[in-house]
Amino acid sequence: MSARWVRRSGRLRAAAVGLLALGLLASGCGGGSGGSGDGTVTIRYSWWGAKDRAEMIQKTVELFEKKYPNIKVKTDFAEYADFWSKFNTQAAGGNPPDVFQNSVAFLRKYGEKNILLDLNQQVKAGNLSMKDFRAGLEKAGEVDGKLYGVPVGANTFALFYDPTEFKKAGVTPKDGWTWDEFFSAAQKVSKNGDGLYGAGDNAGVMYLYDLYLRQEGKAFFTEDKKLGFTEDDLKKWWGDWYGRNKDGVLVPAKKAEQVKPKATISADLAAAEFTWDNFLVRFAAETKTDLDLGPIPTLDGKKTGQYLSSLMLSGSARTQHPKEVAKFIDFMTHDPEVGKIMGYNRGVLPTNAQYEAFKPTGVNAKIAKYEESVTDKLEPITPHPAGADVAEAAFLRIYGQVAQGKTSVDDAVDQFFSEAKTALGS
Amino acid sequence: MTPTKTSAADDLGRKDPAPREARAPKAAPAAALARRRGRRETLAGYLFLTPWCVGILLLTLGPMLVSLYLAFTDYNLFDSPTWVGLKNFREMFQDDRWWTSVDVTLKYVLIGTPLKLLVALGVALLLVKPRKGQGFYRSAFYAPSLIGASVSIGIVWRSVFQDDAIVDKSMSLFGWDVGGWIGDPDWMLPTLVTLTVWQFGAPMVIFLAGLKQVPRELYEAAEMDGAGRWRRFRSITLPMISPVLFFNLLLELIHSFQVFTSAVVIGGTGGSGAGGPADSLLVYTWYLYEQGFRNLRMGYASAMAWMLMLGIGLVTVVLFKTQRGWVHYEEDAR
Repeated sequence: MSARWVRRSGRLRAAAVGLLALGLLASGCGGGSGGSGDGTVTIRYSWWGAKDRAEMIQKTVELFEKKYPNIKVKTDFAEYADFWSKFNTQAAGGNPPDVFQNSVAFLRKYGEKNILLDLNQQVKAGNLSMKDFRAGLEKAGEVDGKLYGVPVGANTFALFYDPTEFKKAGVTPKDGWTWDEFFSAAQKVSKNGDGLYGAGDNAGVMYLYDLYLRQEGKAFFTEDKKLGFTEDDLKKWWGDWYGRNKDGVLVPAKKAEQVKPKATISADLAAAEFTWDNFLVRFAAETKTDLDLGPIPTLDGKKTGQYLSSLMLSGSARTQHPKEVAKFIDFMTHDPEVGKIMGYNRGVLPTNAQYEAFKPTGVNAKIAKYEESVTDKLEPITPHPAGADVAEAAFLRIYGQVAQGKTSVDDAVDQFFSEAKTALGS
Repeated sequence: MTPTKTSAADDLGRKDPAPREARAPKAAPAAALARRRGRRETLAGYLFLTPWCVGILLLTLGPMLVSLYLAFTDYNLFDSPTWVGLKNFREMFQDDRWWTSVDVTLKYVLIGTPLKLLVALGVALLLVKPRKGQGFYRSAFYAPSLIGASVSIGIVWRSVFQDDAIVDKSMSLFGWDVGGWIGDPDWMLPTLVTLTVWQFGAPMVIFLAGLKQVPRELYEAAEMDGAGRWRRFRSITLPMISPVLFFNLLLELIHSFQVFTSAVVIGGTGGSGAGGPADSLLVYTWYLYEQGFRNLRMGYASAMAWMLMLGIGLVTVVLFKTQRGWVHYEEDAR
């Protein structure tokens, strides 16, 4: 009898151990960011970008942890589009990162859904300073009186070009030049041979078309959350670029596809490309070619349509540690050492303290000079409606079908308008 | 310890339930004790099962039921879902990209699976005869099955099929000049199909097991009757391994309907968020993912998931129905 009892209780004990293990497993799943007994707090920080940014951010995080030994920071990163699908999933599951990279385009979208932490309270509590920001940047993260993001850098859309190739073709990009001049320059470069194309085919880049529309006095999105252009406008834009692509002036879609995730200019396929000016830092890590930033071509010789955008840090409304998040953001935007490490990787540094601490050389100096040169051309930014990111992705994908020769321009335009309507309507 | 162990086995009623009942009227208290103990044993059994039960309830069944509900709603992940009835399903049939994803996936399944099984069977036939180094060859052919679905192999595939990479160069040697396959919408699906065919190891091992089961006497008898190689294959090997073939076919079909990782990596979809160049690798599961997690249309994505489930279910039912016609089980052979 007693032997049986022993055996039985042993079995029950085993079952109890099993249950305990299950419990541990469950708590393991739940606990992401928590405090432990000794007062140490862990916050999660995610951002998008490439390897060069990862290395810099790791260094700044180490600095932060040294200054605040009680706060541990867990980082993770992904490419832009992947970052947002991951973020959506985490946020929907009630487990978003405590602090994350953000941009103006997403403030409204996630603000409306109560995902973003209103940092105003932390500013009042003295955990985060909004002083010392340059050129009105302290206002960039404000939506309807709430502070949803703090800029870590200011950037603007720019033309990237290879000065050596342009010189060989006898063209110098200059202020106020026109789109016709730009394309004929690209043509000359591509005629020079050795497999280099005049420019990357950027007709599917929403931000570039936005500039063109602004030059016409329109914009990609209107204030009432609709598309700010007609089917005919887009047919002209896409048709024009695709025509030049077929003529061999622009990088063919297949080649561009193969070098992903590099851009065509950093893969040494094209002599020109349009993108955000802070990409110069990333490109310098990807190609040996010395690239320059040039003026955006215009319609009337004056207006470029450019505006100052910025990458930001936002907190999650669900965070258990708003104070620590605020301190983290404060450190990342004001600490001079952080400025020295990051340089202009996320755009020109946001606060005077960081701006003055960092002495730009090489590519960073080029970015600083470029942003200075466009200061008097900058216009106010148009807020993006919710669904803008979906429309942006559709714009890129659908033009990709045109560039591959799989869809006619007319069909593609119809398809984009129908998808954009769904995206912006919901 | 020893006697209790045997009686415990009896109490569980697995070995032979009859003696317990026979014993019952004779020694009622003992039987009651045994029954009580039996209940305890059952309780312990269920306790041991809890992790698994909780897992299937919380992680499989629960989410499935929720997704069934969501399929009839508009749900953006953040606001609460609103009931829309069959709207999502109606929309699917008008959605060009949904049709593209169905088209791409069906092509992948209908071309990739038969090819893969063909190669698997062919190699299994070569490897079934005992020869030197057989173990090495079997493991070598099996290895791709273990790693093929990984991200790194997808990346390798992407670079192997680039312009001027090894595939392009070897094809040019034979005067077939199409350039790299990557980036060309017409060649993206073939690239993905080669990857799945390359992973023929798992079905191959199952075929090998099946081939070993075929009785040698049948071949000897057939040879006596003057049956040639092909005839023996057609009339003995194929019917005898048809259950294994059926199993492999079912498994691979279901599996390839759900292709995701390799399509995403080879399509280079990660960055741009599209299903490969010109949607050439827009496999069903990727489109579902894009709608759900990128476009925040979880209701639509759930509806898509249930359509996929229905589709796979239909294929399975059809396969089982046709089984009678071509699958021979041992009972029939006797």
